[in-house]
Amino acid sequence: MLEIQGLSLGYGGAAILRGVDLSVAAGQIVSLVGPSGSGKSSILRAVMGLQPALAGTITAGVPRDQIGILFQDDALLPWRSARDNVALGLRARGIDAATRGRTADAFLGKMGLAGLEDRFPGRLSGGQRKRVALAQVMALAPRLILMDEPFGSLDAIVRHRITQDLLVQVEGQGITVLLVTHDLEEALALSDAVYLLSSGPDAHIAAFHAIDLPRPRNLATVRADPRFGPLLARLWADLSAVVA
Amino acid sequence: MRRVPDWTIQTVAVVGVLGFWEWAARAGLVSPFYAPAPSAIGATLVELFAGGEVWPHIGATFGAAMIGLVLGVVVGTLLAVMAVATRPAEILLAPLMGALNAVPRIVLAPLLVIWLGIGIASKAALALLLVAVLIFFAVFSAVGGVDRRLIERVRTLGGGRWLVLREVYLPSVAALMLSSLRVAVGFAFTGAIVGEFVASSRGLGYLLSFAQSTYNTALSLAVVALIMVFVMALLALAGRLERRLTRWR
Ligand SMILES: Nc1ncnc2c1ncn2[C@@H]1O[C@H](COP(=O)(O)OP(=O)(O)OP(=O)(O)O)[C@@H](O)[C@H]1O
Ligand SMILES: [Mg+2]
Repeated sequence: MLEIQGLSLGYGGAAILRGVDLSVAAGQIVSLVGPSGSGKSSILRAVMGLQPALAGTITAGVPRDQIGILFQDDALLPWRSARDNVALGLRARGIDAATRGRTADAFLGKMGLAGLEDRFPGRLSGGQRKRVALAQVMALAPRLILMDEPFGSLDAIVRHRITQDLLVQVEGQGITVLLVTHDLEEALALSDAVYLLSSGPDAHIAAFHAIDLPRPRNLATVRADPRFGPLLARLWADLSAVVA
Repeated sequence: MRRVPDWTIQTVAVVGVLGFWEWAARAGLVSPFYAPAPSAIGATLVELFAGGEVWPHIGATFGAAMIGLVLGVVVGTLLAVMAVATRPAEILLAPLMGALNAVPRIVLAPLLVIWLGIGIASKAALALLLVAVLIFFAVFSAVGGVDRRLIERVRTLGGGRWLVLREVYLPSVAALMLSSLRVAVGFAFTGAIVGEFVASSRGLGYLLSFAQSTYNTALSLAVVALIMVFVMALLALAGRLERRLTRWR
């Protein structure tokens, strides 16, 4: 599905990462981890066409309008209610107002935000805004989703529930996901493969781990799998090596 | 203890100052020639309205200020949009507006009277000039300051130019323009009244100029009070409009 080959990215001529190869097969969840500032968000932006590549190629495998991106920050339109923010993409597709509203409310409900549909983003908590942004992307039923730290500001319970829900949806509908996260356990529990980016400048892929834990997965039980512990230990070791 | 409401303090202060002034005038401590008693100013106001002769003056000033305000907002916005959209417009308009901003624009009042006559046109034009330059800079910088992340968000959700304009640019600019609007109301009246003061046969500025030439302090202060009330009422309206349109804050 998503193929990245020999990708170099930079700001103002200076490269921040070089020669990155990364591939995500259709229906897979692949995580990208790495130190802060190594260029993870930049890679997602490049896939979305928001950032030009200095070198290399990116093939998304689906048309642009079937890719959804969940940005690291939760900038929503401050002058639009949660509902209207979620309905924004549907509006761009010319879907009528009544259907948009119903769809938006349904997705907000799934994120545990029922009752907050009419709130403006300025009156939502950080975690609530994150969930609105997630609903905004999911409402468009994308085939490929790029997620940048989507669960960072959620409390443990909500985080578990939202992640599990998302996992069920993604596995059930065969959605392809490239996930950026700082949480190694989360990366392991969710992914078919984990890429580790070294620290910049001139970051590169420092390690790759295929995670062959069975699917469908359950976040609560996958950690009990005997292969989970050793995999986590190796990821930790690799990450410590690039950060040091 | 309960807090004393602001308006109580304000009312007490105003009544206190006016009372003291009235007392000082009656006791002969200040000359009525320089500072007529509040009651005398009030009597002048009543007289102005009782004869009905003040209405054409109010109408003239209000008309000129409103025409200048509306056209000034439209012209200022259009020029700013042009300057943002095309480079030639930007390199010509930005310095021109900067130059106009650098001089106190009311110095153009005599020139406008020569060009447009002593009627309402020269007053409206001065108000327009004052307002348009203010709005130009407000809109110009607002467009430059639009949050890039919001544009990216709308675009990645499949939005085209129109949706970006409608959902990002318009609300961002409107929010900043609304806060300039209150200043613009004051500017519009300044333009109209100064224009009338320079040369006219009607308007509150004309009344002021008449009061000055006849050394009529009471009339002068009555007109000042009148202008204050009108502008403050308009400002309150502008404030309500702003709050209404920026409910999301
Ligand atoms: N607009 C920009 N202009 C210049 N440099 C930038 C810009 N955005 C990011 N950078 C730099 O590029 C590098 C990679 O940034 P990026 O946001 O991709 O990192 P990241 O891996 O997502 O980090 P984090 O985990 O902290 O989100 C950083 O060193 C950052 O300082
Ligand atoms: Mg990032």
